[in-house]
Amino acid sequence: MSKKLILENVSKHFGSLVAVNNVSLEIEPAEFLCFLGPSGCGKTTLLRMITGFEEITSGKILYDGAVINNVIPQKREFGIVFQSYALFPNMTVSQNIAFGLKMRKVPQKRIDERVKEILGLIGLVGWEDHYPSQLSGGQQQRVALGRAIAIKPKILLLDEPLSALDAKIRIRLRTVIKRLQEDLGITLIYVTHDQEEALALADRVVVMRDGEFRQIGSPWEIYKRPKTSFIAGFVGTSNFIAGKKENGRVRFGSRKIAVSGIESIESETVYLAIRPENIDMLLSEDLPEDLIPENIIETHVEVINFLGAVVRITFMLEDEEMLVDISEKEFGRRNLKRRDPIRLYFPPGAFHIYTERFRKLI
Amino acid sequence: MASNSNGSDVLGRYQVSPLRMEIDRFVIPAVTIFIALLLSFFMLFPLSAILKLSFFKGGEFALSNFTLDNFQKYFTTGYTLRALWHSLYVAFTTTIIVTVITFFFAYGMTRTTIAGKAFFRNIIMMPLVAPSIVQALALIYLFGRNGLITAHLFQTDWSIYGPTGIIVSEVLYCLPHSYVILYTTLSAVDIRLDEAAESLGATPFKVFTRITLPSAKYGIFSAAALTFNLTITDFGNPVVIGGDYNVLATEIYAQVTNLYRFDLGATISIILLVPSLMAFVLNYYISRKSFSMISGAAKPVIPPSRPLKKFGYTTFCSLIALSIIVIFVTVVFGSFVKVWPYDWSLTLQHYQFPSIAGYSALWTSVWVSLVVGIAGAFLTLVAGYVMETRKPFLKQFVYLLSVMPAAIPGLVMGLGYILAFNKPHYFFYGTPWIIVINIIICNFTLGILSSISNLRNIDPSVEEASISLGGDTFRTFFKIIFPLSRVAFFQNFLYFFMRSMTTISAVIFLVSATVHLAAIEIIMLDNDGWTASANAMCTCIILIVLAMLGVLKIVSLKTGGGMKGLTAEV
Repeated sequence: MSKKLILENVSKHFGSLVAVNNVSLEIEPAEFLCFLGPSGCGKTTLLRMITGFEEITSGKILYDGAVINNVIPQKREFGIVFQSYALFPNMTVSQNIAFGLKMRKVPQKRIDERVKEILGLIGLVGWEDHYPSQLSGGQQQRVALGRAIAIKPKILLLDEPLSALDAKIRIRLRTVIKRLQEDLGITLIYVTHDQEEALALADRVVVMRDGEFRQIGSPWEIYKRPKTSFIAGFVGTSNFIAGKKENGRVRFGSRKIAVSGIESIESETVYLAIRPENIDMLLSEDLPEDLIPENIIETHVEVINFLGAVVRITFMLEDEEMLVDISEKEFGRRNLKRRDPIRLYFPPGAFHIYTERFRKLI
Repeated sequence: MASNSNGSDVLGRYQVSPLRMEIDRFVIPAVTIFIALLLSFFMLFPLSAILKLSFFKGGEFALSNFTLDNFQKYFTTGYTLRALWHSLYVAFTTTIIVTVITFFFAYGMTRTTIAGKAFFRNIIMMPLVAPSIVQALALIYLFGRNGLITAHLFQTDWSIYGPTGIIVSEVLYCLPHSYVILYTTLSAVDIRLDEAAESLGATPFKVFTRITLPSAKYGIFSAAALTFNLTITDFGNPVVIGGDYNVLATEIYAQVTNLYRFDLGATISIILLVPSLMAFVLNYYISRKSFSMISGAAKPVIPPSRPLKKFGYTTFCSLIALSIIVIFVTVVFGSFVKVWPYDWSLTLQHYQFPSIAGYSALWTSVWVSLVVGIAGAFLTLVAGYVMETRKPFLKQFVYLLSVMPAAIPGLVMGLGYILAFNKPHYFFYGTPWIIVINIIICNFTLGILSSISNLRNIDPSVEEASISLGGDTFRTFFKIIFPLSRVAFFQNFLYFFMRSMTTISAVIFLVSATVHLAAIEIIMLDNDGWTASANAMCTCIILIVLAMLGVLKIVSLKTGGGMKGLTAEV
């Protein structure tokens, strides 16, 4: 059974570069935790410090109450799955899975049993005598997963395990990983730059940037209440509006819109974020009385991206490109085409208000 | 845990052995220190012996003993001073000729669509399988005082002895070394650059001078520096064909063996060390730079060459190949001819070696080479692994020590060994083991460089995977790294084996009354006038090396590891 893993003021410096800056976190037993962030945010470095492959510049890592900073990787008994699979090309599937057991001098009979058990778990019964080069990418990653769990690791660590696979297999393997983690009741730490993957898998997501934790929370919290404008843009999609506070409204360009909670903001300049699915598209004949007229915007369709269940429409607002999502059903009903006029409503409560500048990611 | 239900909990009892892990901490430092000590003791120590003897009176290290007398003597004696000019002249001339020839040869192989490329490529690599004396032996048979072509075909008194002979034989000896570099350079440069220039209206001549030449310039300098180094440090060819024309390498040998002037030998060694060191540093600096020139998108699709170009390159490459073939045919055929060039009847009598050593020298060479091959390949792989993958604390120092041997002429190293180890308490002195060590050290650089470049192709995660699963250094190396480096190991084995079978300069000072080597026997036989037997010994060496090449090809085919470019690697 996994025990609690604690990061206490952990930092990593490479010369003058600060890769991980004083982060602290308690990871609960059997938790599925995702480190999410853009490349270079320090998530892999942090993972490598947990595995023991990277020295810790300052701070402590504790497992089950004991500091493990100086415990060599061999003795940590953490299972690792690498982005490149890192299977041993000179060994068969069985031999790969058995490797960690061999290193522990487990009797051959037990090894055989365990390998069989693992093959069942990863769904590769019948492939035991194949070499990695004879397997597909998805199968290779299953073997890597099986090899890591064969030793009954205390914690399982996965470093962008799916990023080398194509989309369909990626989604299928997500389920495999999630189910395996739940069945084994093991703590799983997962590093990814793919926000969709993090939201889909994790119990808790840690959003990282510039070596720091920017937000820690459930996928729902991260998505619904992004703490910074960066997160609002990085996790999911957001439209950004820069404006000035004026008489309890937000002014940008020639408009003055109503935004809930703006009164409590001190700063003069504010940055608003609104998700495409939170913008309402009004029927042209609508004359709703309960809507705030200033928040209704008359514009027209610039680009239509058909995404399946959702149709994403690009429109212009004060010379800025913005996005609104409508359902495929709605889209069909309206029979929208390029340059068609549309009326949009920005509900005052749908905005997230930030005081720091945002960086446009689209 | 779900899997607990079926009793896997038992696994928890098995853990990575704590003792093994405790020992493992010391493995990498221990190996690093071992390699550092090995290179220090068998390279720096002999070198320091040479420095001591040349700069200090009586070779006694003390400030008051410091003297430049030896150098003054060298530079004021006309005969010895001439050796320096001779060496420089020969080396420069050879360098220019070889670089021009191999550039166009490599160009023909990489940029034209001539037929028979595989044949040409194999032929130009041929000189690697023979000692650097085979050229001189053949040239004497053809153009010597009693040469087939000079004395008998044209009946002239002219003979090839002297600078001409040295240059021609050195050119033929250096071809493969220079070719490998230029071939790599030209095949790495994107051929589409040429096409782009042509499509923009550049004439073929302009494309060549403005695109092809500049993009290959680092390779050209690198090849030239290597050729210069090989030529100025070569001993086998000049000693046979040089006649009275002394060069630095032969002068060192003469001072030590004929005049017992170890101090002057050491002094000339230092003088030889300067240009060869400079060429090495230049080469090292250039080859670092050239990496940035290599385009990852280089495409090997060659547009069909014009008929005239094809004809020109075919003729040129054929001529070069023919020269090399003639050299080998002359030596091999010469070893079976009764009295060259009078009595053409075939005989095996030259294979009954008239010297004391004879076949025993050949067998010594074979087993020494096998040991050198295995130990050298293994040691350089281990050293490369420790340096490249584990990055120990002494990394920079050990790396510097590892690349130094390539800068030190074999002859200088050999002399250093005599000076340093010719003492009763060095039990290995006078045994074949000192030869084994010497050859490994002398060729350490190329071995470790090719090991490192191979290790760089192994995904670092593979090693980390092994470690995270509880693998210690020993088992990670033997179960993962070693199997994955098999091809590189074979290549390095072959390289060390070939060098050991064919090297002359490194070991000429180390053979003794009891230890004989085949390559040295060639010089001894030739010296004593048994030229046909020298050819016979040469032929034996060539056959053994070729046999080993064949064996390794078969082994690698059987084990499934492609050994493409086996010869090109060396």
